[in-house]
Amino acid sequence: MKQETNNEMDLLLRRLGRRDDAVVPEAHLDADELSAYAENVLPAAARARYTTHLAECSRCRSFVAQLSSSAGVVATTESAAVPELSGFRKFLASLFTPMVLRYAAPALGLIVVAAIGFVVLRRSQSEPYLARNGAAETQQQPVASPAASISDNYGYRMSDTAPSPGRVNEEKKEKHEPAQPASPPNAPPAVASVDAEVSKEKAAAQPKPEEQRASAANEPPPVKTEPAATPEESPRAEAETVKVQPVAGRQAKKELRVAQREDKDNLARAKKPADAASGSASTGFVVDGAAAAADMKTDIRTVAGRRFRKHSGVWVDTDYDSSKAAVTLSRGSEQYRALVADEPSIKTIADQLDGEILVVWKGHTYRIR
Amino acid sequence: MNIGFEKLFEEGAGRLLARASDNRSLGREAMVPRITAAVEKYLLKDDPDTPHAEIAKFIDEMQADDLCLIIACERGDENAWNDLVGRFTTTVRSAARSASKNEDAAEDLAQSIWAELYGLRTRKDGMPASKLAYYSGRGSLAGWLRAVVAQLAVDVFRKQSRLVQTEEDTDLDRLAHVAEGQPIVAGIPSPEESISNRFAQADIQQALNQSVQELPAEDRLLVKLYYFDNLRLREAGAVLGVHEATASRRLTRIQTDLRKRVTKILVDERGWTQAETERSFAEVAQHLDTDLESLLATKSTKGI
Repeated sequence: MKQETNNEMDLLLRRLGRRDDAVVPEAHLDADELSAYAENVLPAAARARYTTHLAECSRCRSFVAQLSSSAGVVATTESAAVPELSGFRKFLASLFTPMVLRYAAPALGLIVVAAIGFVVLRRSQSEPYLARNGAAETQQQPVASPAASISDNYGYRMSDTAPSPGRVNEEKKEKHEPAQPASPPNAPPAVASVDAEVSKEKAAAQPKPEEQRASAANEPPPVKTEPAATPEESPRAEAETVKVQPVAGRQAKKELRVAQREDKDNLARAKKPADAASGSASTGFVVDGAAAAADMKTDIRTVAGRRFRKHSGVWVDTDYDSSKAAVTLSRGSEQYRALVADEPSIKTIADQLDGEILVVWKGHTYRIR
Repeated sequence: MNIGFEKLFEEGAGRLLARASDNRSLGREAMVPRITAAVEKYLLKDDPDTPHAEIAKFIDEMQADDLCLIIACERGDENAWNDLVGRFTTTVRSAARSASKNEDAAEDLAQSIWAELYGLRTRKDGMPASKLAYYSGRGSLAGWLRAVVAQLAVDVFRKQSRLVQTEEDTDLDRLAHVAEGQPIVAGIPSPEESISNRFAQADIQQALNQSVQELPAEDRLLVKLYYFDNLRLREAGAVLGVHEATASRRLTRIQTDLRKRVTKILVDERGWTQAETERSFAEVAQHLDTDLESLLATKSTKGI
């Protein structure tokens, strides 16, 4: 509406301009006045006086127009009128320009809504799994002995809330304390015998799981040591250190093997009654019906470009190779902080996937608890 | 003149001489008359009681080097004259070229400028009648020289540069006289309507003319520059010392202001109702718009 009314005035003024028959004044501005006006260097009162004259005198106007164009007055006037803003202020000012506010504010709103929706959906998806896992754990406890929990059947331990003696041992190793003589006989091995973790995929592929278990009990696992490193070292250095530093020499290795054998014996002992109870010899899983079904259900997630499959509460990288050693880290430990400082994506993974995680990152395997 | 001013001018002259990179061995007595003239012209004429501080600031903002050069030239300093010619030949030639039709005319104009500046004529007191006496030192010497060239060009070529009324001008004049009863468009439905339209147009046009005259001087100048002189917004803004965006905003505000003023005149003095005013604005504008389209169509037909 306003634009239309202005257009009407525009047309009327153009017409008035064509009919201009104003009397040109007798007196005119001299060269000094014209140039001073064009250069905008006159005192305000004098300038106002000349402005009044120019509004009536087309002759002087034409001179001033000509001189102003060649004097480059505009740039100087504008720069004097508008104080130069500092870079930061310019940036702040640019954040609140009408254009930015017009588009950025709704966009921000959309992002917030999308983020809330994502979080809500994610929670609603994860809650059933949490419920199932909880049920499975409560049902598993009476079946499996404290020494060999059901998860040992898969070769890797479930993430316990209370640290087991073996786990304490591991943490001590991580802190570079002198190697402990041995793990308690009934405790899970300090070594994360990852190979067995060998996993369910392989176990499922085997036609006779009992045979595999037997062979696994006889043959030592390929992984020799549990990685340990100083907090100061980078994660990559940690893995290398682990290879060179099999804790405290041969004695420590022997103790380790002993612990592993004991662990597997415990495993075998635990399986027998379970097998008998469940009668599920074909699967080889030492769980009863509901718990087994809950455990068998896997969840697949992709975080930071890595794909994980959840097996009995542990998120396992699909690229995980059981023949490679894994560096074990506890969330919040110095090693963990050093690792995530170098590789923030691992933090993203650890934040998004709760519980224990086996992640393969740049050729190294990390077990994060 | 206020006696206190003399001391002020003396001190100001001393500061200007001290500030000049080459004061041409001038003394304060050479500077004071020029400073006095400039202060009277640009400050005391508007406010005889201008505060001393303001006068001192005004003097300090003068072009010290340019002023010394011009005063030295006026006093017959050959070196100063050579410097003036050497420094400003290009400026004068460029200004002469833009004010002339061709290169020869520009060269003639430039030569006459130097003659005017040198002062070939003599005044009553025997001194050369040089235009240099009129440079105040307030603006730049280059700007002043361009203004001198422009004014002289108009004086010299006044007769030659008379505008020849073109066919386009004739057409525009015909458009301008529509209100006086010579409609060129057959788009008006009935004679009664035509007559009432013409009366409405005349009323609106008169009210608009009156409203423009009542505008503040600076707004009126902008309207004149843009609508009467057909300058672009950038050029009009340059005259006012503002950016073209500022000029554009100002023009929009002026249009709104003018509409209110015209409406008030029509309602208060001509007895129109508000509705009649609005309707007439729209009709007249539409009529003018149609006129322009018609004019363009006529021109293109003639071109064929």
